[in-house]
Amino acid sequence: MMKSVLQRVYLTLILILLYAPIVTLMILSFNKSKSRSKWGGFTTRWYVELFRNDQIMNALYTTLIIALLSALIATVIGTAAAIGIQALRNRFRTFMMGVTNIPMLNADIVTGISLMLLFIAFRFSLGFSTILLAHITFNIPYVILSVTPKLKQTNKSTYEAALDLGASPVHAFFKVVFPDILPGVSSGFLLAFTMSLDDFIITHFTKGPGVDTLSTKIYSEVRKGIKPEMYALSTIMFVTVLLLLILVNISPEEKQGRRREPVKLQRRHKLSRLLFRKIVPVMMAVVVIVGGVFYGSRADNGGNNQVIVYNWGEYLDPDAIAMFEEETGIDVVYEEFETNEIMYPKIQSGAIAYDVVCPSDYMIQRMIENNLLAEIDFSNIPNIKEIGDTYMEMSRQFDPDNKYSVPYTWGTVGILYNKTMVDEPIDSWSVLWDEKYKDNILMQDSVRDAFGITLKYLGYSLNSTDLDELEAAKKLLIEQKPLVQAYVIDQVRDKMIGNEAAIGVIYSGEAIYTQWENPDLQYVIPKEGSNVWVDSWVIPKNAKHKENAETFINFLCRPDIAKMNFDYITYSTPNVGGRALIEDESLRNNPIAFPPAKDLDRCETFRFLGDENDAIYNELWREVKSK
Amino acid sequence: MKNKHKKMKQLLAGPYMFWCAAFIIIPLLMILYYGFTGKNGGFTFLNIARITTPENLKALGLALLLSFVSTVFCLILAYPLSMILTNLGVNQQSFIVLIFILPMWMNFLLRTLAWQNLLEKNGIINVVLELLHLPSLDIINTPYAIVLGMVYNFLPFMVLPIYNVLSKIDKDIIAAARDLGANSVQTFLRIILPLSVPGIISGVTMVFVPALTTFVISDLLGGSKILLIGNVIEQEFKQGSNWHVGSGLSLVLMVFIIISMALIAKYDKDGEGTAF
Repeated sequence: MMKSVLQRVYLTLILILLYAPIVTLMILSFNKSKSRSKWGGFTTRWYVELFRNDQIMNALYTTLIIALLSALIATVIGTAAAIGIQALRNRFRTFMMGVTNIPMLNADIVTGISLMLLFIAFRFSLGFSTILLAHITFNIPYVILSVTPKLKQTNKSTYEAALDLGASPVHAFFKVVFPDILPGVSSGFLLAFTMSLDDFIITHFTKGPGVDTLSTKIYSEVRKGIKPEMYALSTIMFVTVLLLLILVNISPEEKQGRRREPVKLQRRHKLSRLLFRKIVPVMMAVVVIVGGVFYGSRADNGGNNQVIVYNWGEYLDPDAIAMFEEETGIDVVYEEFETNEIMYPKIQSGAIAYDVVCPSDYMIQRMIENNLLAEIDFSNIPNIKEIGDTYMEMSRQFDPDNKYSVPYTWGTVGILYNKTMVDEPIDSWSVLWDEKYKDNILMQDSVRDAFGITLKYLGYSLNSTDLDELEAAKKLLIEQKPLVQAYVIDQVRDKMIGNEAAIGVIYSGEAIYTQWENPDLQYVIPKEGSNVWVDSWVIPKNAKHKENAETFINFLCRPDIAKMNFDYITYSTPNVGGRALIEDESLRNNPIAFPPAKDLDRCETFRFLGDENDAIYNELWREVKSK
Repeated sequence: MKNKHKKMKQLLAGPYMFWCAAFIIIPLLMILYYGFTGKNGGFTFLNIARITTPENLKALGLALLLSFVSTVFCLILAYPLSMILTNLGVNQQSFIVLIFILPMWMNFLLRTLAWQNLLEKNGIINVVLELLHLPSLDIINTPYAIVLGMVYNFLPFMVLPIYNVLSKIDKDIIAAARDLGANSVQTFLRIILPLSVPGIISGVTMVFVPALTTFVISDLLGGSKILLIGNVIEQEFKQGSNWHVGSGLSLVLMVFIIISMALIAKYDKDGEGTAF
């Protein structure tokens, strides 16, 4: 008695561990506030918004199709392989099982990159089909490993008896062996489906522009803060599966059920069998066919008159894209990246011909130096006149003749602090080294930002390549490490809103948003100076739709669009005409978005320092991080 | 006659062999190529030698330690759990399997982020603890949180194979042991435990290897303060864009994967311990 109580308690505890995060996510899907660390009241709004969000619905669709197709194909190949491997000679069988284990045991990142290298080497264009191939690859082992044990349990003599009685091997297989291994096959399918659904690293490396699965969509949002619609979608998916699961399990195992259960249960049982043998497969088939047709037709339309955009996550109002498509008839294929460093190799490898990309200052310089960019034909961009002269001047630091880039957003890096947790006025980077704020500091987790701040604090240039200066900065960063609560990129936003830390290093564009969500927060550009950055549109050399790209850039430089975008992303716009359109005075002259010139005079722009210096920076940063 | 059938059956593995060659072996060879060449294309051992820098060794050591601890925790949690599940006598194996696979229907990244919400200083767990006037739990951004994340994410991969093996043990064998006078401890140590070794080995490798190579969990729950070997490799590929060093370090990791495979081949010859 006691024992069984203990057992149940233990079981419950484990289930709580497994399901606590899931319940958390479900609750978040009803949270009015966009920030995950603040409860803003109950709402079902995200469930409505979800179905209006084309990007998410497309991603959902792609995810399901890929999961379904890859699981189906993997099930067929895998089941056949399991049977075949079983018939192999011993040594060869061990070898094959070993190979089968590789994708399961190998680090996802290695599998993903090795596949990407393969696809690039053999000139596959990255896209839907490469994701599918990759998913089939890592799904097959799951099928093989589920089918093989069942196959071993089957009785060989029944199969042989069937053969002796004159059945053809195929017939005998489907009548005798297949029913026995069916549970293995179906759990293999289910597992493959789930793994495909849950994968993100491999997809991330093998996907092409405009194709997003839910995982890659979520990943590009992790840094910026997840859209609440995602929580809503996950909740719906989870609940659907849960309901299906309960339905299947309503009736007990077949053999027992038939003998003992009352008629009612038998009927229910028949129902669930009907559901799973007929309705679900038919529905799946319908989804695939309809979707296939839909996809096919879309692919045809988008053939020539399109523009492939590669932009930061959450960095353009989706409504603006819709407007552009409507006005010009050009289809926008939209793809997002998380950091300059992730974007760069994709452009460099030329695996995908993007038409227009939005890198930051120093990365643009690197792309110019490596001859990756095309000169922009400014006669196609009359709206360039809307961009303020200051910003064109700023751009000359990395694009000396203003030939390759059109400024899109700009901003500074500074300190965001919580007035309730800090009682002194803050005006210097030195607070980041103040023992008082131990475990209350959020530091930027990127090499250049972390070193830039420290170099500025020491009074050096943030583009320093002097080894002594860098060594001093490294020492200081190591000293700082015990005081740091976490190294973050855009997560600083949610953590500061949720009062997790007193001080955080943040980009000015994020600071405005955090203030809206938490009025206790204050932003300052330290007196030692800081980084002022510019993100600009550029056109890669291998762009296939250069004129469309220029039309697109011109559209974004239109004052009304620039204003619309500013409202959406809250990053400072260099568009003077656009800024004038902002109705709210306090926002139009917001000192965070548009700091006074005296603050900017102390700031510097990052420059590309060359591959060798980059390597030195990375090495020093790794020393800091591993201390 | 029989031989002919065998040949036919062997043919069924054909498509898979082709697939393996194209999408597993060749890509691995490419990693090998990158790992042993420098940026200028010449042959070099330098990429692999990079593992011996103090930072990388430390990252590898820490990764080994954390994944070892997580594996032990998973085993300690999973073994009794699997026994309980077996004894529940639920004859719907698929149901049990699904209970553990079900969480995967919520995206892995979202689930790990949810742990941030739970563990943070003002997170859900601490709010509850405060209500109960209990001391607060302060493990976010520490190795403990990473271990928790690993155990959470990989526990199903330990439970399923062990459960699978345990549920296959013939009840008559246990009854026979009892009849012959063994007490429950003896039955466990001499019958159940030895019979479940394939499941344990399979579970251990399926937890240890992904835990060793992860970079997402350490990033999200460790506050990026704790660098594991997975993070180093990820940075080489993504931030440093030095694929050669990244590949070289991956090759070092692969040594551990090969050891795991050898273990499986030794203790689980018949693939009994598969998870599913």
